[in-house]
Amino acid sequence: MAEPEAASAIMMDHLVTLTYVEDLPPNTVRFAEGLVDGRIIGEKCPVCARVIVPPKGYCSLDMVLMDSSHELEVSDHGTVTGFTIVAPVKYYGQTKTEPFVYASVLLDGASGTLGGQEIKGLPADKVRDGMRVKAIWKAPAERTTDGQSARGWGSVSGAIDGFESSGEPDVPKDHYKDHII
Amino acid sequence: MAATDIAIVGWAQTPSVERSTRTEPQLCMEANLAAIAKAGIDRHDIGFTCAGSCDYLTGGPFAFVANLDAAGAWPPIAESHVEMDGAWALYEAWVRIQHGDIDLALVFGSGKSSPSNPLELYPQQLDPYYLEPLGLDPLSIGAIQARALLDAGKATEADFAAAAARSLRDAMSNPNAQASGDHDPADLLKADYVCAPLRAHDVAPVSDGAAAIILATADRARALTDSPVFIRGIDHRIEVHQPGMRDLTSSPSTTAAAKKAGLNGSQIDVAELCALFTSQEVILRDALGLGASTTINPSGGPLGANPVMATGLVRIIEAAQRVADGTAGRALAHVTNGQGLQHNLVCILEGDR
Amino acid sequence: MSERHTVTSTLEFPYRRSLGPVMGGFMNALKDHKIMGIATPSGDVLCPPLEHDPRTGEGLGTDLVEVGPGGEVMSWAWVSSPTSRHPLSHPFAFALIKLDGASTSLVHAVDAGDIGVMHTGMRVLPRWKEEPAGLVTDIEAFVPEGGK
Repeated sequence: MAEPEAASAIMMDHLVTLTYVEDLPPNTVRFAEGLVDGRIIGEKCPVCARVIVPPKGYCSLDMVLMDSSHELEVSDHGTVTGFTIVAPVKYYGQTKTEPFVYASVLLDGASGTLGGQEIKGLPADKVRDGMRVKAIWKAPAERTTDGQSARGWGSVSGAIDGFESSGEPDVPKDHYKDHII
Repeated sequence: MAATDIAIVGWAQTPSVERSTRTEPQLCMEANLAAIAKAGIDRHDIGFTCAGSCDYLTGGPFAFVANLDAAGAWPPIAESHVEMDGAWALYEAWVRIQHGDIDLALVFGSGKSSPSNPLELYPQQLDPYYLEPLGLDPLSIGAIQARALLDAGKATEADFAAAAARSLRDAMSNPNAQASGDHDPADLLKADYVCAPLRAHDVAPVSDGAAAIILATADRARALTDSPVFIRGIDHRIEVHQPGMRDLTSSPSTTAAAKKAGLNGSQIDVAELCALFTSQEVILRDALGLGASTTINPSGGPLGANPVMATGLVRIIEAAQRVADGTAGRALAHVTNGQGLQHNLVCILEGDR
Repeated sequence: MSERHTVTSTLEFPYRRSLGPVMGGFMNALKDHKIMGIATPSGDVLCPPLEHDPRTGEGLGTDLVEVGPGGEVMSWAWVSSPTSRHPLSHPFAFALIKLDGASTSLVHAVDAGDIGVMHTGMRVLPRWKEEPAGLVTDIEAFVPEGGK
């Protein structure tokens, strides 16, 4: 029988691997198909009139279920309301190697931001809050419904490759101060 | 306030299905809205909200946080969550109301198991040193337990088939059931084993679904409804984890929880039992001392609908429904957690006196 | 909508656990083809060995005692369709095995070959993996004592 000290040096590796096949809800399917058509859609709450993008099938603030009858299109132009420059750190699953901009974009017509958007076409240190941007659409033939999950947050990555300056003048903070995140 | 002065005044469940295309928050909101409507309350009067769910079922880290979208969390609410069946969320809310400063609570439980493969997922629930590396799954544990029951002479495979036939037949009148049917037990016994000694009819299906309950203090309950369902007692007990270190043919934790909940040999008209295998129904009847005068699982039980993480709350709902409509004077709901009946909760319900 | 829209994803969590002297002692001994248990103050021998008595909660120390290697099947289930996580890829039994000298049962696989060979009370012996990895699956499976 080994010494307790030697026995206690035993380590056990355990890789937990779990595979999931999620069914996308109808609201996410419509959102993804809209992107392939070059449209960004949301759902408008019948109580508070907020437009939720991507649509979740409900308004969580008013506790109201929504469906395609609440759908409407929002603009592909918007405002950067906040951003950070991420220096990639090595962790299990990390794929990024170069610093990148991680920005929240408030699309015109939407009541909440699209998070985690890359701002391209200018150095990271030139990105600023209030900057006006427009979606960089993939060529129609390259757009797919990929990148979605059933988590309700949705992604534009199947059809949009980040955002770039729209050439419009910057917008004062008053216009977006309630949508920083 | 006495601990017996808390009542169930509203409830709802989504129909159990094998695979829903709705998200878990959508399922929860549907159940929550319906329970609130049934109770006839304004959601802003809810003093405490508690949810039970498990992120691993749907594979969404922090999915339980996303579920708060369904809890009407604006203006800000006081809420809590348990990584358990919604029945334990109800237990926490029951404790919370006894502080005396709130009179309404919303409780919900939910699960979308369809994205995952239970036989590959559930080993993660077990001891990572001695059990998980074997990929030990719930069906195998249930079958080992059933075998032990047969060996002990406490049941026969025909008893299992009879329980399955009765449940599936009863489930035919349950609009929320996923599985149902009219079968002759003798025919059921002709089927192959899926994991001997269990056959497919002995095993609860896995469903996607959500359920919600509104709890109220006695005064508030009587103002809201003519048929409040009082929680006369509720308790839960747990046994050791290792399947080889306890007697799988009995359920002392169920007996202890029932005693603490005030069972004490009194008549139970309806018992909704969380028997995930027909063999477990035999064990639970015995542990609770239920005789022929008790109707078991009139809803069809988990064999008809098993929305994991809400199944237990649904037992309480089905029992409460029968107290409220006069079918039962005194009902019992049993909920289980872990594998092989390791952890058990018992809730005793009665109408207003 | 008749078409099914799905997304497939894989969650991976890499864990590295230290085992301590009790479980580490058990895993270590498997390399020597020994199965260990631990004694409780009441005179029981727990196998698999735990750090605390599950009934009283008291610490059990670190002195392990050898049990088995043979034992008796106390209950079993026939796994007719093994999953990719199971120890064997052909039909086998999961069983509660009370090893000689132990008061409790270990859960493990019995490679009986056929359901007809399995019965409660049968005696089994461990079959060891060629290359031990310090895991409970260093016991590849148990097999009927003395062949079928």
